Amino acid sequence: MGANRQSLHAEPLVRHPQHAEEAWQMKRLWGATASYTAGGTLLRTQWESGLAPVPAYLIDLSGIAELHGIHDEADGNWRIGPMTTLTSCRSHLGLQTAHPLLTEAVRNIAAPSVRNLATLGGNIVSAVGDALPALLACNSVLQWRTEQGITDQALTEWLEAEQLQSAWKERLLVGIQLPRQTSISQTKRILAYHKVGRREAFTPSVVTVAINGQLGDDGIWRDIRIAAGGGQTRPRRLEHTEALLMENPSNSPSLAVVYQSLLAEFKPKGDSFASADYRRRTAANLIVSELWKAAKRLTEER
Amino acid sequence: MLLNRSNSGKRWRVRPDGPGKVTGSMAYLTDFSAEGMLYGRVLRSPHPHARIKAIRTERAKELAGVHAVLTAADVPGLNRFGIAVPDQPVFCEDIVRYIGDAVAAVAADTAELAALALELIEVDYEVLEVVDDAERALAPESPQLHPQGNVLHRSAYCAGEAQRGFECCAHIVEETYCTPRQMHTYMETEGGLFVLGEDGRLNVYAPTQHGFMDRMQLSRILAMPQADIRIVSSPIGGSFGGKDELNVQPYGALLAIASNRPVKIHNSRWESVRAGLKRHPMKITMKTGVDGNGKLIAHQVSIIADTGPYATLGAEVLRFAVEHVIGPYRYEHIKVDGVSVFTNNGMSGEFRGFGGNQAIFALEGQLDRLAEKLGIDPWMLRLRNMRMPDDAGPFGQPIAATEGAQQVWQALQASRLWQERASAGMGSSFSATTSEEPWISIGYGAAFTMHGAGLGVGIPDPAGGRLTLAADGRIEAVFGYEEFGQGLLASLEQMLIEQFGFAASDIRMIIGDTDVVPDSGSTTASRATSMLWKSLQNLRPMFQAKALEAASRLLALPAAKLRLGEGGIWQQEEQMLLLTYADLAMYSKERISCTTRFHFPTSPVDRVGAHFLYTYSAVAVKISVNRLTGRVRLLDQYHAVAAGPVINPQGFLGQIEGGSSMALGFTLTEEAVMENGLYLTKNLDTYLVPTIAEHRGTVEVEPIEDLPDFDQYGPRGIGEVGSVTLAPAIASAVHAATGVRISKLPIQPELLQLQDIESFLQRR
Repeated sequence: MGANRQSLHAEPLVRHPQHAEEAWQMKRLWGATASYTAGGTLLRTQWESGLAPVPAYLIDLSGIAELHGIHDEADGNWRIGPMTTLTSCRSHLGLQTAHPLLTEAVRNIAAPSVRNLATLGGNIVSAVGDALPALLACNSVLQWRTEQGITDQALTEWLEAEQLQSAWKERLLVGIQLPRQTSISQTKRILAYHKVGRREAFTPSVVTVAINGQLGDDGIWRDIRIAAGGGQTRPRRLEHTEALLMENPSNSPSLAVVYQSLLAEFKPKGDSFASADYRRRTAANLIVSELWKAAKRLTEER
Repeated sequence: MLLNRSNSGKRWRVRPDGPGKVTGSMAYLTDFSAEGMLYGRVLRSPHPHARIKAIRTERAKELAGVHAVLTAADVPGLNRFGIAVPDQPVFCEDIVRYIGDAVAAVAADTAELAALALELIEVDYEVLEVVDDAERALAPESPQLHPQGNVLHRSAYCAGEAQRGFECCAHIVEETYCTPRQMHTYMETEGGLFVLGEDGRLNVYAPTQHGFMDRMQLSRILAMPQADIRIVSSPIGGSFGGKDELNVQPYGALLAIASNRPVKIHNSRWESVRAGLKRHPMKITMKTGVDGNGKLIAHQVSIIADTGPYATLGAEVLRFAVEHVIGPYRYEHIKVDGVSVFTNNGMSGEFRGFGGNQAIFALEGQLDRLAEKLGIDPWMLRLRNMRMPDDAGPFGQPIAATEGAQQVWQALQASRLWQERASAGMGSSFSATTSEEPWISIGYGAAFTMHGAGLGVGIPDPAGGRLTLAADGRIEAVFGYEEFGQGLLASLEQMLIEQFGFAASDIRMIIGDTDVVPDSGSTTASRATSMLWKSLQNLRPMFQAKALEAASRLLALPAAKLRLGEGGIWQQEEQMLLLTYADLAMYSKERISCTTRFHFPTSPVDRVGAHFLYTYSAVAVKISVNRLTGRVRLLDQYHAVAAGPVINPQGFLGQIEGGSSMALGFTLTEEAVMENGLYLTKNLDTYLVPTIAEHRGTVEVEPIEDLPDFDQYGPRGIGEVGSVTLAPAIASAVHAATGVRISKLPIQPELLQLQDIESFLQRR
């Protein structure tokens, strides 16, 4: 446990910037010797387990007003400050109505005491957080402070790019945008979120899936986004399967074809607690069962 | 009648230690501190198996603020500990055998300095081949961990001729069952405060289940007379068997003596996981045969237990398992062979259930499988084969006769939950589904056990206590038992009130201090409440006679006209308090004090470990299985427990519910996973105990209090039995729901997933 240091374990120097710009400048100055801290819940577990060193500088983002808050903007988009705690997300009535996938995802993260501290931004930049599949299914956009100023980037794109480089660590997440959910006439919105862990609550995820789609009264998927993750698997959209379903009747392709597509497309990482095969099968089972439920409901209503 | 608050009436009391625990105002021993106190830390081996080539402590010793750095060379007495066999090094001299093995210890001004001092100790290791599997450890080519080899203990039992028996069987079932390395997960990790008094005596404030055993072991290590050591050991923030053995005490004591300063040690959860005891993982292979009518004919069992690097109570746990794989049934031929094997895995040792949990999971699994082959209801098969009230115990030994086995069987059969199963038309292979979520399967299952209490034949198992009228008029009840959350004080208080007529305010209970209490034996093996009851049975006539005679002299009234009551001595048959206990204490010339000493009752045989007193339990459960994920949920449970009179309703319910919760973890979520002798589950973020979300279902507990008229042993132990019978009941219910047999715990969800979900759904 721990690094083999020859001096007393130094406490990090904690800085409390008041503005995002100031925080970003500090990180630029100190580079890898500094770490942003939001709720600190994940960092603390990483330090304790020796997965990450305690940095020389901690840049505490909690005092930056512009990084807080949940905003229902005039264009119907929602903008969430990355420092918004998971508890605040979960209990926000407007967000519950507009983006129930996200509030349901947040409800499933950790335990109440952790959710009071942990932030949505922290969950995102962990790159494996359980909010990510829901945010992916909502087509979310991240706003960063970078060398180039404020830039927008689709969450899907960031998750893929993050696999290639870690330069994002020099960035500061300043906003999360959830675009307005456009409703197509004569369709029903189908939403589903599942997190499967090794116990019922307060558990690391083994598999997390989210579905956000619109099923026409004629049984044709007009719009569908499916995302899956869990454990150390970086969440991603299952676009091949989405394409299979789009503009097609819900009974063709058959569930068997969709199921095989999901098994081929989702490539989770296994570990000593749950195999990759179990994770893949579970994700496929959950997604297929939701598609079946949606189609069945439609048939019953007809 | 079900046990709950409303059925208990006035017997449902607020426990005396409840308010302090709920409000947090009560200090545990690990909350203690002392002026000038140092912080102790232990340097543990980073390797599961290695040779120590050199240890250099100079740099740590030179660090300012470090007051003691100790290694094996600094142990004045026996550099070993272990309740049954002292084979565990306080500090390893030449070989480390697991990643919790201690190599050195330091005491420093602050916890941070102590941590730094550990880093300055240099140890050169030569890494050795790791023995991480009990079966492979038995192979001749395996590295040998001890001079006597890798076998800690073998235990066997044979009656009849099993081989011949199988030839007469109509059906035979063979299966191998595997159970997990479960962690006690007490909320208070191991720790304590160690203070060398000005009189040269050592004061140890550290949780243990048997203060006198700790005193004896420390005396051996420190080469110090036992009389010079005082162990204060209660209250304890949970133990479940895990703190019976020494843990931090040798280091705290040695450091306090070396530095001549008070020393505090308190394990982090990480260190607790790494160094602490776990339940023995067992691999149990059973071959069991019945005749065409379902009568058990032959039962052959092999048990391999992974005991880790050192003995502690590994042999005793194995013996218990050997007894309980035979369990509550009659057979014509039995052959059991058990072996407890040294490995470089984590330490295994005492844990609630003591080998019974593993044994009953396997045995009840066999009964279910045989019932399926016979085509009969598995619960009926139990009835057909169970021991009768006058039958001998599993080893053929005489046992205290009760009708407990039949009573719990009948109670379960009549229970609401089992009736629900019957009315749902659910036999042993049926599952209900809803059309909305057809992948949710429901199943019911049941299991049955007898569980022995006390340490058994051939093991010192003393009991006793003292009642004294103190100078201030309080009645002091003094016992060498420990309160680790199980409600011992509440049970003692309730007995003193109900059996003697005292008010709670008349009583002062004193436990957990070797300077004051008599040796009442260990608080373990479901024995303390039984022994308290028996002690009070012995003490009541003595104490009553002495107190009433003294009062008689003071009041000039015949003793026969007096009785003990709330606040003092009352006139018999009249509602009048004549003399307060304070006045009795003040004016009486004789000291009113009584002592009792006796041995836990044992069977008159020479089979070491054989039990005499048994508790019987039957458990029914209703579960659901999500066939998409393979996750199991416990929806409803019923426990019938035949253990004689209920001493403390709240405590009884708490023990059964708490034990069941622990068993739920054993069944569904808990496993301390090891690879190459290293823990993968190092903390509670990967080692998953059940949360409140796992406990949403109903729990009903039905105590069966009848005992035969001739019974003189009173209440039987209930501390463990709640943790034993749930796992096989759930396994049975899972089979009913899915058709899948469970032979390994915790249950692996992948076994319960539908393999062809798309065709399953398309059919609906």
